[in-house]
Amino acid sequence: MSGFNPTSTLEERARVALNDEFLRNAVKYTTEKLRTNKKSATDELGNWEDWRDRGRMIRLHTIAHLDYYLSLFVENVRKAGGYVHFAKDTKEAVDITMKIMEAKKAKSVVKSKSMVSEEVHINHALEENDIEVVETDLGEYIIQLAGETPSHIIIPAIHKNKQQVADLFSAEAGETLPPVTKTLAGFARSKLREKFLEADIGMTGCNFAIAESGSMVLFSNEGNARMVSTVPKTQITFMGMERIIPSFEDLEVMASLLPRAATGQKLTVYMSAINGPKRSEDSDGPEEMHIIILDNGRSQQLGDPEFQEVLNCIRCGACLNACPVYRHVGGHTYGWVYSGPIGAVLTPVLNLDNREQWGEVANASTLCGACHEACPVKIPLHDMLVYIRRRNVEEGIVKKAEQLGMKGFQIVASNHRLFRSVLRFGKVAQLPLVKNGMISSKLGPLKAWNSFRHAPALAPQSFRDSWSELDQELKQTKNELPADIKQRMEEIVAKRGKQR
Amino acid sequence: MKPHPLIEQLDKQAREKEGVFFAHIANRLGRDRITEKPVQPVRGVPDFWREYNLGEQERIELFMRNWESLGGTAKRFATKEEIAAFIDELAHGMSAKQIIRAKHGLLEEMKVDEKLSDLDMTIWEKDSPADLLAKAAGADIGITVVDFAVAHTGSVVVTSSPEKGRSLSLLPTIFIAIVPAGVIKTKMGEVMREVTKWNQNGMPAGIHFISGPSRSADIENDLTIGVHGPGIVYALVLDEK
Repeated sequence: MSGFNPTSTLEERARVALNDEFLRNAVKYTTEKLRTNKKSATDELGNWEDWRDRGRMIRLHTIAHLDYYLSLFVENVRKAGGYVHFAKDTKEAVDITMKIMEAKKAKSVVKSKSMVSEEVHINHALEENDIEVVETDLGEYIIQLAGETPSHIIIPAIHKNKQQVADLFSAEAGETLPPVTKTLAGFARSKLREKFLEADIGMTGCNFAIAESGSMVLFSNEGNARMVSTVPKTQITFMGMERIIPSFEDLEVMASLLPRAATGQKLTVYMSAINGPKRSEDSDGPEEMHIIILDNGRSQQLGDPEFQEVLNCIRCGACLNACPVYRHVGGHTYGWVYSGPIGAVLTPVLNLDNREQWGEVANASTLCGACHEACPVKIPLHDMLVYIRRRNVEEGIVKKAEQLGMKGFQIVASNHRLFRSVLRFGKVAQLPLVKNGMISSKLGPLKAWNSFRHAPALAPQSFRDSWSELDQELKQTKNELPADIKQRMEEIVAKRGKQR
Repeated sequence: MKPHPLIEQLDKQAREKEGVFFAHIANRLGRDRITEKPVQPVRGVPDFWREYNLGEQERIELFMRNWESLGGTAKRFATKEEIAAFIDELAHGMSAKQIIRAKHGLLEEMKVDEKLSDLDMTIWEKDSPADLLAKAAGADIGITVVDFAVAHTGSVVVTSSPEKGRSLSLLPTIFIAIVPAGVIKTKMGEVMREVTKWNQNGMPAGIHFISGPSRSADIENDLTIGVHGPGIVYALVLDEK
C-alpha cells in the first residue's frame, strides 16, 4: 500500500514498480494511447505552437499579477454570494474545512477529483472525525477502496486491472461482480448515485478560477463534478492559489489546451462554470458555497526566476505521458501527490521544509526535455529539474558515495596530465570487464551505475586524441543549430550573464 | 437566511487575513500590491482563431457531425411538430415512464405534454411543489432547450435558471437537448463573449458546456458510457424559428 509519506527511498519505490509487470504494461499502454490521442487532437486543431504560446503568455501574465487577479476573484465570488477562505498550509485548510463541517453538522461528503485535497489529506481528516467521505470519480473511487493514492493526474487508477477492480467492488457490493467494465461501471453508478443524493457536502477541486466573474471552472467526463456541485446543499471547493485566469475569453484558450493535452479530447464532456451558490429562485445547486484558497508552498516559487513558471501548470498530465521515467515506474514511485516530471519538480519545491526527504525526487528524470515539449504552456520542467539537483548538491542532500566520486572526478579532471594518465590506465584495466564494448560488472563502485544498465567501455581513442581529425571535419561542414534551439540557448546564456 | 455563527466567524477571519495573504504574494513578487487593472499583453485566443467563422449551414452540419462522433445522436427538424412527433415516438418506443422538462415557451408551443399525456411529466419551474431533484433522478428522460451550441467542439450550453435546473441535463437516463438552429455558434469564444456581457447580477449560477454522453476510461482504459451523467444524449436541431 502506498501513502503520501512513504518511509522508503525513491530507489526502493522504483524497484517495487519495476518488478510489477502489470503496472509497467498498463502504464505504458495507457500513456501511449493518451499521447497518440493528444497528437491527433492537436494536429486537428492546427497551429498548436501558437496556442501553446498563448496559453503560456496568459499564465505568465496572471502569475506575475497574482495579487491583483486573486483579490478580484475573491471580490467577485463574494458579490455572487460565495465565501472565500485563505489557508497558508494544509493544517489551516483542514481547520477551515472542519469548522464548515461543524456548522453544517455534516455526516457525509461526496468528492470529485481534487489534487489539492490530496495535498491536504482531507479524506483522512474527515474520517478521523467520523465523517463519511466518498470519492466519486470512478478512478478515485477505485483507489479509495484500495486504500491507495492516485498514480496519474488524469487516470488515478492507471495501475489497477479489471480483476483487481472487480475484487474491490465485489467486497463493497457483498456479492461477486465479474471483471467486465460495463458491469463494474454500472455498480459504481448506482452505488454512488445513492451517495450523491444523501450527502451533506459536495467537495470539488478547481481547474480554473476566473477573476473577472468570480467563476470556478470544472472539467469532467463522468459528470461527477457536476453532481457534486449540483446535488448537495453545501459546496466546498479546494483551489490552489495559482489557478486563476483573468477572463472568460482566456478560458477559451485554456479549454482548447487542457483537454487536448490531457486526453486528446476537443473538450471534456462537461465543462462547468459555477458562479457562486444557487440563485434564490433556483431549485437546484448548492445553497452555500465555500472556496478554500491554498498556498502550501506555492508563494515560495513567486519571484524565483528558476521556479515561478511552475505555477503556470494547468495539471493536464501530458508531461507524465511523455516521460520515459514515468512510463516505466508509474506514479507511486514519486511518493507524494504529484507524479511524473511535474511531480519531480513540485514535490521538492512545495516541500521545502522537508527537502532531506523530497529533494531526491528530482532525480527521477533523464533530463531529456520531453516534458517541456509536451507541456501545453511550455514550462521548462527539465531546466527546473537541473536547478533542484544543483540545489541538492549545494545543500549537501546527495549520497556520500556521489559526493566522494565527484570530489575524485574534480581532482582528476582539473589536471590534464593526471586525466590522461587515468584514461590510459583505465583503457588497460578495463579489458577483463569489457564485453561487446560494454561493462556490466557490478564490482565495487560500478554497482550503483550497473545495477540498472551497462556502462560503455572507454573508447580506444580519447576525444582529445581525436580532436585534430574532428576539427578538420568541423571545418568542412558547418551545421547551424535549429533556430529555436539556438534562440533558447542564447536566452539561457543571456540570463546567466544577468545573474552573475 | 442568516449564516451559522461559525461560518460568520470564518468569514470574518478570512476578511482579516486576506490583506496579509495578498501582501505576501506581492512581496514575493518583489513589489507593492497592484490595485489597478494591469494591461494584458494578450487576451483570449489568437487572431486567426477569432476570424474563424462558418456559415449557418456549415455550423449546423459541423455541430451535428461532432455531436455524433462523441457518441450522441443528432437530428435536424424543419418544424416543432416534427420534433414533438420524434420525442413521442422515442419515449413510447422505449416505454419511458417519467419525463422531466424545462419550462420553456418553445416546449409549450411544441405541445410535448399533449403527446406524452399518458406519462408522468414533471415541469421544472419555480415554486414547483414536486421534489424536483428526486423527480429528475428518477426520470427516464430530461428535456431542455439549450442556450447555445458550439459547432467546433460539438457542445450544447445550458445555463441554470428557476425554469431550467442543472439536474435536467444531468440526472435522467436520457438527455434531450432542443437546439434552435440560430443558437449554434462556430466556436466556444462566441459563447464566452455572450457570457462576459452578463453582469454579475445577471449571471446564472451554473453555465454548463455538454459534449456528448457521460463517459469514463478509468478501468483499464476501456471506454464506458453513462457513468453518473446520461449515457444517451440527443441533440434535436430545429430550423423553425
